[in-house]
Amino acid sequence: MTFRSLALSNMKGNWRSYSAFFLSCVFSVLIFYMYSSFIFHPDVVNGHIQQAAKVRRGMLFCLYIIGIFSFLFVLYSNASFLKTRKQEFGLLSLFGMTKAQLRKLVIYESIALALLSIGTGIGLGMLFSKLFFMALSVFLKVSDPIPFAAPLKAIGMTGLGFFVLFVAIAVLTSLRIGKAELVELFKAGRKPKGQLLFSPWLVALAIVSLGSGYTMAIMLNPFNFFYMALLILVTVTIGTYFLFTQFSVLLIRFLQKRHSVFYNRTNMVVLSQLGYKLKDNARILFMVSIMSAVILTASGTFYLMQINSKQQIYQFYPYAVAVMEKGLQSHAVIDPEELKTHLREAGHPVTDEKIVAGASVSDIKLTRSNGNNIEYNPKTMMISESDYNRLAEAQGKQKIHLKPDTVAMPGSFNPPIERFQGTVQGKAFDYAVSANLSDSVMNQTDMNWMTVIMEDGDYKQLLANVPESEQLVWYGYEVKDWEHAGAAIKKLQVPEDLEGQINRNRADNFATMKETSALTLFIGLFISLLFFIASGSLIYFKMFTELQEDQAQFNALKRIGMTKQEIRKITVTQIGIIFYLPCLVGTIHALFAMKALDGLMESSVWLYSFVIIGIFVVMQTIYFLLASMSYSKGLNRGTASA
Amino acid sequence: MSVLQTKGIGKIYHSKGNMSYRALEDIDLNIEAGEFVGVMGPSGSGKTTLLNLLATIDRPTSGELEINGVQPAKLSDKKLALFRRRELGFVFQDFNLLDTMTIKENIILPLVLEGVAPRVIEEKLKPLAFMLNIEAILDKRTYEVSGGQKQRAAIARAIIHQPALVLADELTGNLDSKAAKDVMDALKDMNERLGATVLMVTHDPFSASYCKRIVFIKDGKLFSEIRRGTNRQAFFQQILDALSVLGGNFDDVPFARA
Repeated sequence: MTFRSLALSNMKGNWRSYSAFFLSCVFSVLIFYMYSSFIFHPDVVNGHIQQAAKVRRGMLFCLYIIGIFSFLFVLYSNASFLKTRKQEFGLLSLFGMTKAQLRKLVIYESIALALLSIGTGIGLGMLFSKLFFMALSVFLKVSDPIPFAAPLKAIGMTGLGFFVLFVAIAVLTSLRIGKAELVELFKAGRKPKGQLLFSPWLVALAIVSLGSGYTMAIMLNPFNFFYMALLILVTVTIGTYFLFTQFSVLLIRFLQKRHSVFYNRTNMVVLSQLGYKLKDNARILFMVSIMSAVILTASGTFYLMQINSKQQIYQFYPYAVAVMEKGLQSHAVIDPEELKTHLREAGHPVTDEKIVAGASVSDIKLTRSNGNNIEYNPKTMMISESDYNRLAEAQGKQKIHLKPDTVAMPGSFNPPIERFQGTVQGKAFDYAVSANLSDSVMNQTDMNWMTVIMEDGDYKQLLANVPESEQLVWYGYEVKDWEHAGAAIKKLQVPEDLEGQINRNRADNFATMKETSALTLFIGLFISLLFFIASGSLIYFKMFTELQEDQAQFNALKRIGMTKQEIRKITVTQIGIIFYLPCLVGTIHALFAMKALDGLMESSVWLYSFVIIGIFVVMQTIYFLLASMSYSKGLNRGTASA
Repeated sequence: MSVLQTKGIGKIYHSKGNMSYRALEDIDLNIEAGEFVGVMGPSGSGKTTLLNLLATIDRPTSGELEINGVQPAKLSDKKLALFRRRELGFVFQDFNLLDTMTIKENIILPLVLEGVAPRVIEEKLKPLAFMLNIEAILDKRTYEVSGGQKQRAAIARAIIHQPALVLADELTGNLDSKAAKDVMDALKDMNERLGATVLMVTHDPFSASYCKRIVFIKDGKLFSEIRRGTNRQAFFQQILDALSVLGGNFDDVPFARA
């Protein structure tokens, strides 16, 4: 038997606990390879695929995330592997293996695992890269499908990068071997389970930090975002940590004191074992909770961006086409009849037409609530309150009511604008601003960048001075099936120098927005999946390190007449709690994060959040079922022989 | 009334390659309620096999076994487990206490699994803990108490649900002589004062001297049987004599007490 074969047989022996870790490693290699194979794809590098530039930076960013994450994940997993194998190392050193040899053994094992997972990962990556490219082609709207390619640079970077990562971590962790005395190594597995203790102060700290974190999340708005966000992150993280290490113990102790619960059949076994399981796994559960929260929040945000894009588009472009004409009877930009005919012939007839008259305002000066002034050079348009309300009603937006000598204007200013000064046809006015409106009912064009809305009386007075040829008319058109009307709208003939007076970008911008968010969602999805698999594998691994101990316990229980069904019930309950508890905590965190997002985006997202959470729970359930099946099998194998 | 009755039970182990090993052959055993029976025999004589058969965690290949009027062979796995839980009590050499629970929780586990009301559980526990002198350690954990205390707790667990038969397997094997004496006294107490029927497998002549009757087996067959008079010292000598006749290897008896 050579040293190498010893290392290999060690891996074979520990395969059950290695498998989930191995799977996660393979998956991160796989994703890393797929992303880098796109980044280094010959067609992308040569610039044949112009759209690729959009995603390249995002993907590079993802590569960094995968790299950092893999480093931490492998580091942690390796350290806990070594911890569970203390007894084995004790035995080996008892037989006279030196520390250097032990380290060599560990490094050999890591190298073998590294080669295996890198090989499998890149192999699978090549297999799936064509599929990945095909999906990307759809998202990027590339006419020719992206051909299969296995760029050497991608293979090299993935292979070498991960190899260095694995070996470096193996060297790091192997240095920790052999610091303990032999006797301690032997005793490691049989350390008595101490009393479950908790500190009331730390429990209080957990509650206070979670509570304050959540409260801040609810109160989050765009103005306090920067200093609050970090604070929320810190308090919630601290709270979660103590929730698992301290509060869980308190809860279990409380339940154990309630005899009606504790003395009820299998509850006693479940609860008394669970206390130790939670305590032993507190750190993992904490990390998995945070990871779940991150996955859920990130996926939710991506999804939200996708869903929200239409609402945002309506916000900026209330109408599919908008035209600004100077002079009441002028059709310098485009004749409305011509526009309608053209669009009808293109299959997108006009379904709604709105006309608003107004006058041009110049020499604008805005005064903020803190006394600062803004000089605003471009001209803008003033409209009457009743015109505004007519449009708002048609668009389902809120109407406004203005007092004389006050105006309303769109735009979220911070601090808000208090006074509006301007000149209409040589006549100056100075009104108080009664409302900063978040909704705008008109598309912006030249001469109308910041519509100012006047009380009807004021409006009439100012308009009286303005000759008809100087008045402004704004036309808004809604067309049938506007999402696909981009090309037809673009073909409308407009004199080149008046191009600024037509606003017709809605369809195009919507398409771009949709594409970008779909891409982000698609790319982000893999990272979420990676986090998900890795977090599950941490739990899975912990479960199997405890399998032997549990086997002994269940053998004892079986001999005093516990039925298989009862044992099954106990294990499934415990595994279920270990799997779903972090999922639940992560979900609650994510819900508060979504609530915070609500405050930021000023739109309701609950339904979408629940869709994401639902998907997450379903996936976690699949993982849970696999794990509990595999665990029961392992348990039965152990108990059958006893 | 007979609690346990076996008629010609035997056990043959088959291994790969058609090698069969006859571990136990034609055992007839009858235990009446309230008896305290010891089973002795040299290593490899089939003691453990017999105990496993009686404990219903292994099935005989021939013969009939009846415990408290029930034939375990006819029960399904689930019913068998429930039968074990209700009709049998176990005391093991390695205690088999769960280290995630307190001593008290370990003792009452059989009742809790049956769904007995907490109030009734407390009522049953109190006198038992008093008799076994473990009241003071009820809230301690298994690692905080001595081996003798653990074994007495295990006896409490084996008896609290009033089983038809208590099976003990080398229960003093891991104990020093002082603790062994305490434990055997406790078991005797249970037998005499509570009328528990006990069957104990042991190597140790000293522990065996607490029994009222001892059955010797050798090479898988019943060999002889002796009954105790009034004097335990005399019975101890009788056991030693019987063992010397029995021969075989008793080396695995802890030498501290051999």
